[in-house]
Amino acid sequence: MLALQLTITGLQTGALYALTAVGFSLIFGSTRIFHFAHGATFIIAAYLFYYMNVSGYGLIAGIAAATAGAIAFGLLLNRFVYVPIQRDEGSFFTVFVASFGIGIVVQNVVGMIFGRGYVTVSTPLSFSVEIMEGLYVAPIAWISMLCAAVFFGILWGFLKYSQMGKALRALADNPELVRVFGLNPRFIAASAFTIGSILVVPAAIISGATSGLNPAMGHHVMLISLAATIVGGIGSVPGTLLAGLALGLAESLALLYVDSQWTEAVTFAILFLFIIIRPSGLLGRSAAH
Amino acid sequence: MSKSVVLAAHNITAGYGGHPAINDISVELREDEVLCLIGHNGAGKSTLMKCLFGLLASEAGSITIDGEETTKETARQVADRGVAMVPEGRGVFPSLSVRDIFSLGMHAAGIPKKERADRVDWVLDILPAIKEFMNRPAGTLSGGQQQMVSIGRALLNRPRILLMDEPSIGLAPKLFQDLLAPIRALQQREKLSILLVEQNVREALKISDRAVVMKSGSMIWEGMPEELHDNERLMELY
Repeated sequence: MLALQLTITGLQTGALYALTAVGFSLIFGSTRIFHFAHGATFIIAAYLFYYMNVSGYGLIAGIAAATAGAIAFGLLLNRFVYVPIQRDEGSFFTVFVASFGIGIVVQNVVGMIFGRGYVTVSTPLSFSVEIMEGLYVAPIAWISMLCAAVFFGILWGFLKYSQMGKALRALADNPELVRVFGLNPRFIAASAFTIGSILVVPAAIISGATSGLNPAMGHHVMLISLAATIVGGIGSVPGTLLAGLALGLAESLALLYVDSQWTEAVTFAILFLFIIIRPSGLLGRSAAH
Repeated sequence: MSKSVVLAAHNITAGYGGHPAINDISVELREDEVLCLIGHNGAGKSTLMKCLFGLLASEAGSITIDGEETTKETARQVADRGVAMVPEGRGVFPSLSVRDIFSLGMHAAGIPKKERADRVDWVLDILPAIKEFMNRPAGTLSGGQQQMVSIGRALLNRPRILLMDEPSIGLAPKLFQDLLAPIRALQQREKLSILLVEQNVREALKISDRAVVMKSGSMIWEGMPEELHDNERLMELY
């Protein structure tokens, strides 16, 4: 029964990891921008939802504010930081340092406003109920999984059938050729930031209602996203999705054998194993094509 | 009566990172002709092509299409004037199917949805072999098939001016001729103007009306293909 309990918890965690990681992977895969501040997008969305909730504005307004905040942050960062760096032919490392620095700034600003301790959005859906003898699951766990399934379904359809989805895949393949087609790579990149930032929002909101929030958790979110992107295969959205789910499950099931303080080490043990044994990841480009 | 000039570069200088790749180049493409641009690697052929299509800003000089200044125009604006480009290398997106590449190309060109099926049919009439792999990811196609798709995508815009940057790269001479034969037929039928950049001189001259030879960013010779054939020194070089 414990294994089943941990599997359900792992799927819930994995669904949230997958949402965040796919957002990062989509941005990195199509623009080649190492958007380390993706974790800061998570923090902004989570705390905006928390603020709207404690201020009594209600669920819908909270979701709208979190979504608007996440999109605005992603787009502004792209427009005023990444685009100028790329225009001046700045290196990958320059982008990384700029993005990392902005993540630190966001963490500190959020810490100054909301404090550095844990805060939680309390909802009736957060409380576990016994669904069979010895098995306790909070309704929000099912919502997490459903939410992830719905978002991934929409994303799959978008990437496969919409012209912008095809343009995103095209940009990932060959940015120079995108210009030959007469498309605007900057507009497509901005779309990648918009979609990638939106994918963070459900994970941020649900995390606020389950594990709670603190301003420093953006780094953890980013490290998980990075691990899932590498394990899944850089540039592969389905691979990152699978890897996010697998990492969540592995972290949870590891509790059968190790203390909770070691669960993060499990994630990185998996990451190192993939780097050594299968550097292209689960569905990396060499395998996917 | 001489044919009118549809695309012209006047004293163009351009390059990368402050290093000019072409110097003071002037070239004219006339209506209903195939102009072949010949030169070794580094001659500046592709740089000139990128300038003409709005992919690279020139440092000096001007470009005109049908007599109108287009020097500062983007690739999209140049394409809207009836110009299409087949880029160097494989002009396809490996992860997209051929159908998706065509669809994205027509979307980017602003072709109305109701016209798109007819455009595809028109291209498939010219290059019927594409029918066999319409639904395959372009990354799984052979070099010749990918080049065919790249040319097909450019033709979807029904251009008046076609810029082709080294379409023979990686292709056997026979395959290259098979690929160019329908394009030459189309050019003669539709009065298309084609600027063909090539290193494979002998094959390219077979379908060209005029030729220009470039070396180290400058133009060193211009004339008819048969004159170039007679020029032993140049033919030895190229």
